Amino acid sequence: MLGIEYLVDALTPTHLLIALLGVVAGTVIGALPGLTATMAVAVLVPFTFSMPTASGLIMMGAIYTGAIYGGAYSAILLNTPGTPSAIATTFDGYPMAKRGDGDLAITIACIASVVGGLVGAAFLLGLSPPLAKVALAFGPVEYFWLAIFGLTLIASLSEANLVKGLAGGCLGLLLSCVGVAEVSADIRLTFGSQTLLGGIEVVGALIGLFCVPVLIDLVGTPERHLKVTGESRGFRLPEALAIAWRGKFNLLRSSLIGTFVGILPGAGGSIASLVSYSEARRASKRTERFGKGEPDGVQASESANNATVGGGFIPTLVLGIPGTPPDAVILGALLVQGVRTGPNLFTEHAAVVYTFIYGLFLATVLMLPMGLLIGRYAYRTIVTVPKAMLVPAVAFMTIIGTYAIRNSIADVVMMILLGVVGWVLNRFDFSPSPIVLGLILGSIAERGFVQAWVLGTATDNVAGMFFGRPISLLIIFFIALSLFYPLLARRWRLKQEAMRVE
Amino acid sequence: MSNRSGVRDLGGMAVAAALIVLGGFVFHDTTTYVDVDSKVFPRTVALVMIVCCTIVIVRDLLRPAAAGEAPAPASVPRRLGLVAAMLGSVLVMPWVGILVSGLGAFAALMALAMFDPWTRFRLVVYPLVAVAMVVAFYVLFGQVLQVPLPVGSLFE
Repeated sequence: MLGIEYLVDALTPTHLLIALLGVVAGTVIGALPGLTATMAVAVLVPFTFSMPTASGLIMMGAIYTGAIYGGAYSAILLNTPGTPSAIATTFDGYPMAKRGDGDLAITIACIASVVGGLVGAAFLLGLSPPLAKVALAFGPVEYFWLAIFGLTLIASLSEANLVKGLAGGCLGLLLSCVGVAEVSADIRLTFGSQTLLGGIEVVGALIGLFCVPVLIDLVGTPERHLKVTGESRGFRLPEALAIAWRGKFNLLRSSLIGTFVGILPGAGGSIASLVSYSEARRASKRTERFGKGEPDGVQASESANNATVGGGFIPTLVLGIPGTPPDAVILGALLVQGVRTGPNLFTEHAAVVYTFIYGLFLATVLMLPMGLLIGRYAYRTIVTVPKAMLVPAVAFMTIIGTYAIRNSIADVVMMILLGVVGWVLNRFDFSPSPIVLGLILGSIAERGFVQAWVLGTATDNVAGMFFGRPISLLIIFFIALSLFYPLLARRWRLKQEAMRVE
Repeated sequence: MSNRSGVRDLGGMAVAAALIVLGGFVFHDTTTYVDVDSKVFPRTVALVMIVCCTIVIVRDLLRPAAAGEAPAPASVPRRLGLVAAMLGSVLVMPWVGILVSGLGAFAALMALAMFDPWTRFRLVVYPLVAVAMVVAFYVLFGQVLQVPLPVGSLFE
């Protein structure tokens, strides 16, 4: 039923080697700020054209899964998400690294990524056709509300500064409007500048807003970047496994959220990891430790973003609708190989599809030893390199990485300027995370908003279009919950404490 | 982060005021758009941003937050130097190429981030490592990943 015979095909030495190389290449590329999972897959996809279809797919799946995990390294060690889906990993990963637990954070991220990847792949293997229908149930207005949900979640994570978080999210949404309007081609917010016509590049902005402030702080003081402990503590695997076992429900819940959000085309790992992080914090008994180096936060974010890999392949393979940008690249590669996606794919090309899915399992499992090894090397490098080498090396990486995205010097200038603005805003409690997420989700939100607005105007029922659909109402309920739950929970906590005192 | 003004978060209020002005600019900019579909989203978002920032200001005026801890003292010239070195290297890139501008930026940033004395060992090893790193990234991006890096008009 599940094509078990293809498991044997996936376990050939050639496929093992391909998966291993793919994971290593993906992890290294994902770890470099500026090189995203999409770029990793896109750059390496031509190498797969000369391979048999199943082998090529295994390679691409391995690169993709490795790149998503690799994003955690720079998120934990440099407070710079290597990929947008690692934004939530910075919240607790970087504080852990600052207090000297960067090695533990990387091992936890590795275990969580493996668990998330396996859960996503299991759903891809067993429940693809029925789950693909979920993607079709989401219309433009649902995507608009989903984007707003992501923004309210990230704003609500800073309990005391909810309003500042929302303002930051709005700033990000406005930044996403810069350039030629997607819907009607008007030129917006460019100040008459030709270079702004192409808009603000998301990954460059992400690097600027997260990484440049770290560099500005690093260069200002002689203190070490991360706390260094005297003795070598290895991978700290038993400790990380104990934490993973303690947080097993968190891991499972986050992986399921990641798989589900991955199924929704365009939503991607950034929303998945934020929803999981927020849910982990809400459900935790140690809520107050989140944002200060709580391992459960790293687990939630990393398991969710790796689960989107399997989840994203569900609509890609069953419906031909890519769930995430790297899925779109892989979909193109599939078409080049002569494989037509659709409901009949699992029967007409069973050998290719099942070998690929088992290959994805294989790559995810291989990520454990390879991720731990590369992570350990990355950690030791970052903590031992003197500041006089670390600052210029990271700065040069941000420059060349941002330039490589669109071969644009203007993007690099924008990255640095946004970094300075981000540093100033952060000093006054306007966190960079909502700004970046607003920028990422801006196009999804605007497309959904304008389409729903046009439909509502045409049918003379704008309110009904935005507030009258069942899935929209459900998401709006979650938005309200994310906005008001922290306030209600705090009020309830204070009331309980007052009662205890009496 | 902190409310460093003691009683009132003056910095936070200034940022909120700047964002209100930005929201006003967005409203003004939308009047030049031809299609109504281009206006509706930025206008709505700008309105929400203005409301949020007004709340930030009013809330702080009515109920000032307790003062947080002040940030640790840090070198302002070094910080300004970092931004200047990064921006400068990018701006000269079209003329000298990414390799030369990268080496220049690396050297400047190395000097700015150096808090220990320059020993003879460091004077020899650090520049060598810097050249190796810049060249390695140049080869990775330019040759392996086939990114068309700027060579510089002076060398063309």
